[in-house]
Amino acid sequence: MAYFVELLINGALTGLMYSLVALGFVLIYKSAGVPNLAQGAVVMVAGYAVWLFLSWGLPVWLSIPAAMVTMFLFGLVVERLLLRRMVGQPVIMVVMLTLGLEILLRGLVPGILGSAPKSIDVGIGFAPVIIGDVFINRTSLVGGIVALLLVGASLLFFRTRLGTKLRAVSDDHISSWAVGISVERAIGISWGLAGIAAVVAGALWGSSQGVDWTLSMLLFPAIAVVILGGVDSIPGVVVGGLVVGILGSVIPGYLDSIVGGSTRDVVTSLIILLTIMVRPFGIFGREDIERI
Amino acid sequence: MFYRLSGTFHTNYQADRKLWKIPADRWLVLTVFALAVLAPFLVSPLYLGSYVLPWIIWSAAALSLTLLMGMAGQLHFGFAAVMAIGAYSSIHLVRAGVPFEIALLLSGIIAAVIGAVFGAAALRVKGLYLVMATLAMQYLVDWVVVNVPWISGGAHATLRTPAVSFLFMDISSLASRYWLALAWAALITVFYLNVKRTSFGRSLVAIRDKDFAAAVIGVDPFKTKLMAFFTSSFLGGVSGAILAFCYYRAVTPEQFGFNVSIQLVAMVLVGGLGSVIGSYLGAGFVLLAPIFLTNLIAGLAASGWVPVSQNFLSHLPLVIYGAMIIGFLLFEPLGLAKIYDNIRKYFLVWPFRHARS
Amino acid sequence: MTWMRRTALSAALVAGLAVQAPAEEVKFGLLQDFTAVYTFVTGQYNQGQRDYLTLINEEGGIDGNTFTAIVRDTGNQPQRGIEAYNRAKEEGAILFDFLSTPVSAAILDQAGADARVVITPAHGRGDASDGTVFPYIFPMFATYWAQAANLVEFMKTNGGGIEGKKIAIVHIDSPFGREPLPILDALAEQEGFEYQSFPYASPGNEQSSAWSEVRRYRPDFVLIWGAGGGQAVSVRTAIQNGIAPEQIHSVIWLAETDAANVGPQMKGVKRFEATASGTELPIIQRIQEKVIATGKGSGEEANVGNSYYNLGVATMAVAVEAARLGLEGGEPLTGETLKAGFEKIAGYDAEGLMPPITITAEDHQGGGAGRISEWDGEAWVPVSDWHAAYPELVRKVIEESAAHYGEGN
Repeated sequence: MAYFVELLINGALTGLMYSLVALGFVLIYKSAGVPNLAQGAVVMVAGYAVWLFLSWGLPVWLSIPAAMVTMFLFGLVVERLLLRRMVGQPVIMVVMLTLGLEILLRGLVPGILGSAPKSIDVGIGFAPVIIGDVFINRTSLVGGIVALLLVGASLLFFRTRLGTKLRAVSDDHISSWAVGISVERAIGISWGLAGIAAVVAGALWGSSQGVDWTLSMLLFPAIAVVILGGVDSIPGVVVGGLVVGILGSVIPGYLDSIVGGSTRDVVTSLIILLTIMVRPFGIFGREDIERI
Repeated sequence: MFYRLSGTFHTNYQADRKLWKIPADRWLVLTVFALAVLAPFLVSPLYLGSYVLPWIIWSAAALSLTLLMGMAGQLHFGFAAVMAIGAYSSIHLVRAGVPFEIALLLSGIIAAVIGAVFGAAALRVKGLYLVMATLAMQYLVDWVVVNVPWISGGAHATLRTPAVSFLFMDISSLASRYWLALAWAALITVFYLNVKRTSFGRSLVAIRDKDFAAAVIGVDPFKTKLMAFFTSSFLGGVSGAILAFCYYRAVTPEQFGFNVSIQLVAMVLVGGLGSVIGSYLGAGFVLLAPIFLTNLIAGLAASGWVPVSQNFLSHLPLVIYGAMIIGFLLFEPLGLAKIYDNIRKYFLVWPFRHARS
Repeated sequence: MTWMRRTALSAALVAGLAVQAPAEEVKFGLLQDFTAVYTFVTGQYNQGQRDYLTLINEEGGIDGNTFTAIVRDTGNQPQRGIEAYNRAKEEGAILFDFLSTPVSAAILDQAGADARVVITPAHGRGDASDGTVFPYIFPMFATYWAQAANLVEFMKTNGGGIEGKKIAIVHIDSPFGREPLPILDALAEQEGFEYQSFPYASPGNEQSSAWSEVRRYRPDFVLIWGAGGGQAVSVRTAIQNGIAPEQIHSVIWLAETDAANVGPQMKGVKRFEATASGTELPIIQRIQEKVIATGKGSGEEANVGNSYYNLGVATMAVAVEAARLGLEGGEPLTGETLKAGFEKIAGYDAEGLMPPITITAEDHQGGGAGRISEWDGEAWVPVSDWHAAYPELVRKVIEESAAHYGEGN
């Protein structure tokens, strides 16, 4: 029983850490309708940014905000230079563009800053949190709490004046223009916000596995999270993350030793497939996707 | 100039329905084909084995994919998995004693059946969701290949292709492997050019343009989409088998990973969706650009032109390659085929460039 | 050692002037993966390789022959590896190092047909150690099987016997991760211990469920078998699950960068090593003096002496030694003579950088010796002597697998 509880809790927390990656994806999709398959690479860039500021001797509490400012600007620049020109293009073009961006970033950033894994220490302790016979991973615990706070903050943000504009933009581009909202600016800001979310993800994942290009591979579980939760739903990120994390921990926890291979990617793939077959718009997504 | 139109009158339907209506185009195709057939005598084994041969095979694969993506409008981010199915089935069939010619066909059929299951998702969703669904299937197939030792070939997950002969021709020398691959690419090309003119091809295009409208005019979206996945997977499966037997000759799961799927999609898009010449150009670009960039930059570095660290030097081709993909999508979304077409059109009316072609 | 080599060289020069082959440029193709899966090692490894070749050239080469490295990135993609191989072959390279399992696999047969030497140090298929089946492939150092055997023997001698003990092997879910399982099967039977494997999904950035299970298995020893960032996650998660660092034993792919990632808690973790680390070695000292100090180094100075850097140096040291022996016959260096040179290597230890290795026509593994070292918070400190563990058993597994290869796999 303790085993099950441990798998459950650690899985849930890991899932929330996937949500951090997924949050950036959803923020962009919600406002711009762009599936950003480079979000994993953006997380990698953010991890490198945190490492860079730390290596310049800045303390953690300064490095992370500095990285957030950097990544906000980075998001703005990417949107302005690349994605704005793709408005109106078919989705496959946008998907391929973000994949091209991923290749570019994966070459550029490790190329300049070094490809051997970098270590970052954001001051999360090492010892597990022990409750009875249940060991909880401290990094995941911090990550899970931060993820919940960040999602909460983004929900609150969408209630501010600027957030309301973003919601209007996500509802309808044309009507937003009509009432005087700058759609371009709103989309740019959402890219910037995705950059900020990526900093949190990059710092937490980077502190547990080191910063190198493999951070960009977090995209795959994050995709499962957004598909399950709904590509344009922020609360969906939390729920999707919890489900993907828990199933991806509990099922391999019991099955792996029987199968003799790691079943986590299978579980993740099946979550994507089943969601798409049964409820393509996800748990909280808007039901307006074109059905056939 | 070359593409002189004057004097070519299509006085009957027969003449107007030719694949290449303009004599210059016909000559061009014939010349290129003749050069391709004679390639083993014209280029050194280095170029044949490391550039021309993979280019031909990947072009065949890109053509198979563009049938699905360009013609039927169904996105597929798991095509490498389809090719893997073809490659692995062909090797296991040949090992089980099936003649190579039949094994090729059978491996295509196996890939087609499994590939049509991939297509099941397409019956419900499209666009981004189809991308994600096929992506998930790519991971599933990868997992099965890696985790079933019987398929992947045991501890080292490497399967060597047995020695085979095709129609009494021994497929072991580089030239014979190249000719087999070329024959397959030519076959797919002719098929693709002609399928556009069949009712099947037209219904694929109808589905791509608007599936509701297609259904209204009596094209069954369900059947057509499934057939699109089936046909394209068949071609992809055989291309995978050809890739295994003619090029790699030792199959490992990494040869058919997720990044290969991305490369295939990039080939189709950079080349130009749905275009034959585009598939060849796109495959050449995606396959050869990183190689040429690597060699170019290494050459420049050796002569002291790029004074940067080895680490950055080895990442530079990746950066340029990514930038080039982005550049194509931004500045020429219709791909290399469109650039080729522009050049052709320019010469068609040269030197009177304001005339309409 | 240096004076010995110099004397040997001058003696050879005096004695062999008549049969001296004309001096030329010997080319090695170091066509590796700098941008994809193997980035955690390639940079430092390749730096060591090139610095050593520079050192040899600075010292006048071997009989006046100088060495050139052809360095290309293959991105771990077989088709790019094949191109790079063909091109480097055209340029005259006679030895290749791909440091990538899929690329090596795609070139194995071709290299044999072309009579070009491929070295697969510490990676690639273990059964290539059987020189009768793979004449041109040289793993040179301990294969994964020899590494696993060495680690198990260390557990046996330093952990108070292994009979009745439990070993948990936590590995990445890939062919590489499953590599040690056959030898563990054989060892478990022979030594009477019990083991269980716990796979985690590639690339291993999240392994909590595997380790929850490991903790409940209550292992006496833990063997981690991964590479890159996944290794740091393995050590972290293990310690978080109450497994003492002293219990953790790793495959060769655990180095200074991983220790920096894990932090101070890493102290006590052990790993297999095929080469010594640190700068207090004659060869590394000479590199410092003649290559780094004169500004001819090929990368960051801080990497000199790292585990992977020294591994790279060792690979080229063996290759150059093979070239020297190959040239003794008086014929110019080709794939064949270099291969013959490799098979003449006897008791070569690169001035203490590695265990003495002896390569024969049958055994291309060079004996499979290595040792265990422990992270003391600052550096890797050896805790056992250079030796080969269970050589007969490893050999048996090699031959069985090689026979299997002969049948087509």
